[in-house]
Amino acid sequence: MSDSQERFNLRRLKTSYLTTIISISLVLFMLGLLSLLILHARKLSDYVKGNIGFSVILKENAKEVEIKELQKKLDASDFVKSTNYINKDEAARILQKDLGEEFLNFLGYNPLSASLDIHLNPNYANNDSLSIIEQRLMKKTIVKEVVYQKNIVTIVNENIRKISIIILFFSSLLMIIAIALINNTIRLSVYSKRFLIKSMQLVGATQGFIRKPFVFKGIMQGIYGALISIILLMGLIYIASKEIPELFVLKDIRILLIIFSIVIVLGIILSWISTFFAVRKYLKIKTDYLYY
Amino acid sequence: MDSENIIDLNNISVYQNKVLVLKEVSLKINRNEFVYLIGKTGTGKSSLLKVLYADLPLKEGEATIVGFDLKRIKNKNIPFLRRKLGIVFQDFQLLTDRSVNDNLTFVMKSTGWSDKKKINERLEAILEDVGLKNKGYKMPHQLSGGEQQRVAIARAMINHPEVILADEPTGNLDPETSEGIMELLFNISKSGSVVLMATHDYSLFSKYPARIIKCENGNVIEGNIENNE
Repeated sequence: MSDSQERFNLRRLKTSYLTTIISISLVLFMLGLLSLLILHARKLSDYVKGNIGFSVILKENAKEVEIKELQKKLDASDFVKSTNYINKDEAARILQKDLGEEFLNFLGYNPLSASLDIHLNPNYANNDSLSIIEQRLMKKTIVKEVVYQKNIVTIVNENIRKISIIILFFSSLLMIIAIALINNTIRLSVYSKRFLIKSMQLVGATQGFIRKPFVFKGIMQGIYGALISIILLMGLIYIASKEIPELFVLKDIRILLIIFSIVIVLGIILSWISTFFAVRKYLKIKTDYLYY
Repeated sequence: MDSENIIDLNNISVYQNKVLVLKEVSLKINRNEFVYLIGKTGTGKSSLLKVLYADLPLKEGEATIVGFDLKRIKNKNIPFLRRKLGIVFQDFQLLTDRSVNDNLTFVMKSTGWSDKKKINERLEAILEDVGLKNKGYKMPHQLSGGEQQRVAIARAMINHPEVILADEPTGNLDPETSEGIMELLFNISKSGSVVLMATHDYSLFSKYPARIIKCENGNVIEGNIENNE
């Protein structure tokens, strides 16, 4: 065989090895992306829930000291993420800006009340917690009323629940697809060596001795695949954080480390198990069945 | 089992899947014996050898080879049986993804050799024995059929087995190399091993006379040189 032909054949063999690694890396990339989505879904839902808030309208006669004291107490409580005190003048300025009209001149007095705008801790952003908080606040003498939109709270929670179910469904589906794809890729690669496996058995090698190099190679393919998918994920995160800066949360190092670990562990475990069972199949099979 | 009988078959039947190939085979082969296994194509020679190296299960009869009970042998013990046998396959069964040296080293390592120096010494000696001294670096596909056959023979002999089962080991060889291989196999049998060789090459019988067993019409019978010509 000529040198060029030999080089061509060697290149083809390397390409098939590379193709296996790339297939594994693409599947792991998808799994990494999904993990990114799942781990950030919680953050995003907390972010949306954290924007749910309500206004505590204060009575006309409420003194500044009493208001500050109430604000301090609220800031210290579990259900509050942040509070913002808006006095009568500021409320008028905000409304004037929204309306675009000098309504104070028209009315001749400021009808608005001072209020405390409260953003909730995400865990308490539901109607049940809100009604308990409302009851508690209404007992305070300086509180006139508590205003919030019940519908929005319900709709936000309902949507988050729906999205979570959809994400969970697709995660499970993708996980099954990933396992099937990696398993199939590795099985095909082992299938091409089935006669070698049989020859090794015929010369007296034990199953463990035959299996070891295959499993080692499978694990290495899993590791290479995982490393490639991590590079792809990092590239994607970099581009996303440049193009959509609001997604700055994606730069959370702790979450990234968790995702990269998941990708590496999945790469190793999936290729390990797939190789183990693929080789086992040909170790157990009768010689005649190798030809089918 | 008689201690002299390395191979002891007692009324065994050989099946390929569910098809009966040989029936009621009884055969005893002692140490130092060289035995030809002859018969037309498809008469069950290879199947009988496959039973002996436990590639085909023994369903009927009793059989022992190098102390292993073929009817009751467990899967996990089959590699240890094969380590006591040297098998030359009709289709060579070389590991096509590695060189001749690596083929032979694989067998040594898988059977417990670990000392690199000893492995290399044995490698050199066995390649010289089969006339492939400078071809250890070659891949199987770079060798001729005869050379591949010799690698298969080298592999079978590498662990000094008690029994050599050879399925047409001279089938692809030129007369000169054939003779060299026959010398080799005869010497092995003289040194205490059993050689059971399936062959169609009847011309060997006159130069290397030995016991002949014939597969015919589903039976195994003792033969002789005259009635096989």
